[in-house]
Amino acid sequence: MIFDSYEAYKQAGFKPKACVLGSGPAGTTIARKLGAAGIPVVVLEAGSREFSDESQDFYRGKTVGDFYFDLDITRLRFMGGSSNHWAGWCRVLDKQDFEPKAWAPDTGWPISRADIEPYLPEVHDILELPDFRPDVPVSDDIRWVQLIKSPAVRFGEKFADELDKSGNIAVVLNTYATELTGDGKRVTGARLWSNGQDAGTFSADYFVTCTGGLENSRLLLWSNERSNGGVVPNAAALGRYWMEHPTFEGGNAILANYSEFEVDDSNEAFFSPTLAAMERLQIMNFGIRLIESPYPNVKKLIADLACTAPSMAEWMSSKLDQRLRCAAQLYVAWEQAPLASNQIELSKSDVDHAGVPRIELHWKKSPLERRTLLEGLRLFGTTMAQKNLGRVRIDDWISNGGDYPTNEETAGHHHMGGTRMGTDVLRSVVDANCKVHGMDNLYVGGSSVFCTSGQCNPTTTITALACRLGEHLVKVIAV
Amino acid sequence: MSRFIRKMSRRATVQALIALPALKLFGNQPAPANPGGIDPDEIVEIDGWILRRSDLA
Repeated sequence: MIFDSYEAYKQAGFKPKACVLGSGPAGTTIARKLGAAGIPVVVLEAGSREFSDESQDFYRGKTVGDFYFDLDITRLRFMGGSSNHWAGWCRVLDKQDFEPKAWAPDTGWPISRADIEPYLPEVHDILELPDFRPDVPVSDDIRWVQLIKSPAVRFGEKFADELDKSGNIAVVLNTYATELTGDGKRVTGARLWSNGQDAGTFSADYFVTCTGGLENSRLLLWSNERSNGGVVPNAAALGRYWMEHPTFEGGNAILANYSEFEVDDSNEAFFSPTLAAMERLQIMNFGIRLIESPYPNVKKLIADLACTAPSMAEWMSSKLDQRLRCAAQLYVAWEQAPLASNQIELSKSDVDHAGVPRIELHWKKSPLERRTLLEGLRLFGTTMAQKNLGRVRIDDWISNGGDYPTNEETAGHHHMGGTRMGTDVLRSVVDANCKVHGMDNLYVGGSSVFCTSGQCNPTTTITALACRLGEHLVKVIAV
Repeated sequence: MSRFIRKMSRRATVQALIALPALKLFGNQPAPANPGGIDPDEIVEIDGWILRRSDLA
């Protein structure tokens, strides 16, 4: 069932056991799991079926620190959430991403990759993915990794019909919780806002917030402030350890044989470090994306190389004359070190139309990450040269320690952390089952529970974690 | 040869005889990779390029 307002939903007399906030990949997946198990669930979606400026305005906010995107363009507030604009890149976090790293504080998850692997067949169906191929070692330091360019499933479009026909799932559009109320043990209710006005209070036995990697923290910070700590009793880490995947063009490569590497349909290939290389250099995970260079760039690269290695430039020039693909741009996306100081705060001066403080995001890249970028490109370049696969040139601003450019990709629009998973209540917000520490009936879905970000796009892992949480909730609620 | 030995002092002759067994220590040394002491496979970073030393020729 899909309703366009809370008023219409109330008239239907639906009696949910659980309330899911948000209809993005996590919220929709969890609701489908509950619905399939015969558990009545209501999904509150703040937006409607389509994009609107009015809805999007609730996402405006401010960033303090490094340059970042406007907060109202880096995510979407309508049915299906940010799946409405994702590019479709898929890969699950690596096994090593779940492990603690001695050289990077506050890394390590309370679960391992093996805990989400049983859900991957389901994830493949949801995201319409073929099977992933295993990594291929290129050297002791570098491995070829596969990122699958999926059809970029729009959850709102794909599942609208199924949700509409479901007798166990009620989706209420244009409706969201401005705050949850709680007594330090349980969420006792939610204050709703529907179609531009206060819609009163609402209660359910269980609440699952799946409003996104920025908004989950905002909702819980505001709710906790209003409830005097009654919603997140252990709030030391709430809003903290927020992470992105910084992404910049890092250099170029000339290649002995472009077809040496398996490329995808877009002629792109991806490389990551081995755990041994990360340990040896004490760096974070990263992904180097190799994209075929346009012709004018190749000519400039040859001219540059001619100054340093004339015979190599001559060889490359002959390749170019034969119209062979011989050069690539290198884009680097890397794992941010989790830092408590990278955090979501509530604005003290700016509120949205419903009176909820907007987000003030404090975000800064660390020296460890800067080293990861430089050493990562060196690792890749060294492997290419040692194996005679090609030669790499690192961009000057990286070699010379210059400022990050502000006219490049900047980051992946991947919002992670803020309600991270863990066992230490001072450093985490939810437990291994995504339940808020100290609360009996409040759960969190989505990438805000990530402890570390790895180097790959998060949607596949988000969906796997949502399948796992959905299955857990089925067991909990069915008791 | 014998004239050369006759001209050596007794002390120098004894020192040479003592040193003889040590000469075999140098017998199994591999020939240097290159006479100039430069490894062509060494990885070098020049002007941002990560190259083999031999690329610079």
